[in-house]
Amino acid sequence: MEWIHPGFIYILGAPLIVLLRGKVKSFFLLSIPVLAFTTLLLMSKGILLTEGKTWILPFWGYRLILGQVDKLSLVFAYVFVIASFCMFLYALHIKDDSQHIAASLYIGSTIGVIFAGDLLTLFFFWETMAWSALFLIWARRTKKAFDAGFRYILVHLFGGACLLGGILLHLYSTGSIEFSKPFLFEWGWEAKHFASYLILLAFLINAAVPPLHAWLSDAYPEATVTGAVFLTAFTTKSAVYVLIRGFAGTELLVWLGAIMAVYGVVFAVLENDIRRLLAYHIISQVGYMVCGVGMGVIGTIPGEMGINGAAAHAFCHILYKALLFMGAGAVMEVTGRSKLTELGGLYRFMPTTFHLYMVGAYSISGFPLFNGFISKTMVVEASAMWHLPVIWLMLEGASIGTFLHTGLKLPWGTWFAKSEPACEAKEPHLNMLVAMGFTAFLCILLGVYPQLLYDLLPYPVKYQPYNPIHVVSMAQLLIFTFVAFWLFREKLHGEPTITLDTDWVYRMMGRKVLWFCEKPLMAFASYMDQKVTEVVHFFVWMSRNPVLALRIKREEMTLKMKSLFANPSHLKERELRLVEKKRNYPGELPKLGLGGSLFLILLALSLYLILYLISLE
Amino acid sequence: MKKSLYRKGFYGVLLLSLLAGVFAHAILHPESHFFWSSFPVFSALYGFLGCILIIFGSKALGHYWLQRKENYYEKK
Repeated sequence: MEWIHPGFIYILGAPLIVLLRGKVKSFFLLSIPVLAFTTLLLMSKGILLTEGKTWILPFWGYRLILGQVDKLSLVFAYVFVIASFCMFLYALHIKDDSQHIAASLYIGSTIGVIFAGDLLTLFFFWETMAWSALFLIWARRTKKAFDAGFRYILVHLFGGACLLGGILLHLYSTGSIEFSKPFLFEWGWEAKHFASYLILLAFLINAAVPPLHAWLSDAYPEATVTGAVFLTAFTTKSAVYVLIRGFAGTELLVWLGAIMAVYGVVFAVLENDIRRLLAYHIISQVGYMVCGVGMGVIGTIPGEMGINGAAAHAFCHILYKALLFMGAGAVMEVTGRSKLTELGGLYRFMPTTFHLYMVGAYSISGFPLFNGFISKTMVVEASAMWHLPVIWLMLEGASIGTFLHTGLKLPWGTWFAKSEPACEAKEPHLNMLVAMGFTAFLCILLGVYPQLLYDLLPYPVKYQPYNPIHVVSMAQLLIFTFVAFWLFREKLHGEPTITLDTDWVYRMMGRKVLWFCEKPLMAFASYMDQKVTEVVHFFVWMSRNPVLALRIKREEMTLKMKSLFANPSHLKERELRLVEKKRNYPGELPKLGLGGSLFLILLALSLYLILYLISLE
Repeated sequence: MKKSLYRKGFYGVLLLSLLAGVFAHAILHPESHFFWSSFPVFSALYGFLGCILIIFGSKALGHYWLQRKENYYEKK
């Protein structure tokens, strides 16, 4: 066999989950990622296809390519598969099969996106990804989760529609659906320009680039404890992958990425819900990747650094962000609470969870010896190589904020802050702790031995993260962030509020549309309904005795006219007669002779003939 | 007693990080991409001031504009 699609292992495994129970099911869930990992190893070792295109299906004269394999797709596939192992381990205790099935389909379709060599295959897996993720949100089965899920899918359907529109325009202007080299991105009014705008827009929605990001911070915190862990990894990072493939070196992305990195940090300060705080940090961290993609001009040394940085940071981010969500999820699992105002002082109950969480926090903050340090600094270094001072300052500033919230505010508010614990708690299930331990081990392993990751990256890496200047300046940055935090920590207590974000626009707009339908539109509809019914009633009434009906109507008109001029007392008698006529209506029907009937029939027929002749013209 | 030891240790770390910056710059003469790169304690300063700016800037943004009661979206 030339190649096996790792995504299909997940997709074909999904329906089998319902058939299994107990330990066998646990074993099966873990064996899916192990099997997928084995196929990836076989690809890396050259036993299966290492580079090239395979699994090609003919489709209406086009070629659908399900297997486009190169170093870029492999590095993303590796991290998705490794992360999925940790996540399935974390979710092993879950009895609700629908969550396992949704997760399996979600991961399988994301890997489908990674290996898609044409735009139609990409679109198919893109949509499957959105729908399967929805069920991880809905599985929480609360009203908030249902509502957030609906908003999530509406945004993604809009993104999907943009993608499909872009693909069709691209097909129209180039005649090809291949997806292997970057699109032409320049400003203009032709179909090829609009194709790239629409495709870029769809990718930016999935990458959660502000102002198109609010679906993420809205929906992820409403998902189940384990579902949210799955969600953190796949949608946004597959979007980073397609951005690298389709829009590497697009300058717009440099700025969008840097703004994103800072945006997430600012909103995280205001957040009270621990998982929403972490969700804002996904946005911030994906900002580094998007920025790296923007700086990734192919064929230049800083450009290759940018792309390598984006891919490496996606790799590391998936691991530490999963670990952070696992920690926050563990707190939620045992306490049922997720707000900083309702948490605090839990260290004495769950020290292991705290320490494992902190590994994720050190990693995301970029502490030396943790994996964030070896990848984030690559993107920052790329901005230095391009001599972009503002971008450099924004990215370094976002690092400060990241440590401030994820590494200081959240753990301080959850495990310390109060002298007495806010509630009872205990360590979570053993499988959750083991999953966190394994993910933490991977974060440290890559931090200590970065070459493992650097060998997987699309371009050769000459960068040395552990240069004394980098280490010292990162240490200074983080230590002095801590000093500022400690001085002003009282300002950082959670506040029982929510923060308005760009989802306000469609949430409020939706409400206005509903109001318009319920109030003015409904009033107009019932008015029209009433008028039409009145007309129908009149015709029914008249058809009982048209001759008398016409007389009554004529009499009514005359009386109305006369009442304007004459003395009303003179008309009294006629009015009484009219009332009498109406009461007796329809009365005795007038007899129509044979001649009269024939005349009416002929009249109708000749009218019909005239209409027919006119229509012939 | 234990607390003051921690405090002294932390001040030691602070000082060490600053001194390490000065020494690293003096010995290695790193390639300077921006004018501030040659300033050995720039990161410490940026970390400290940046953190204060983030705390107060975001809180001001929240209090004057973005923060609302928790039932904001539920109410009619």
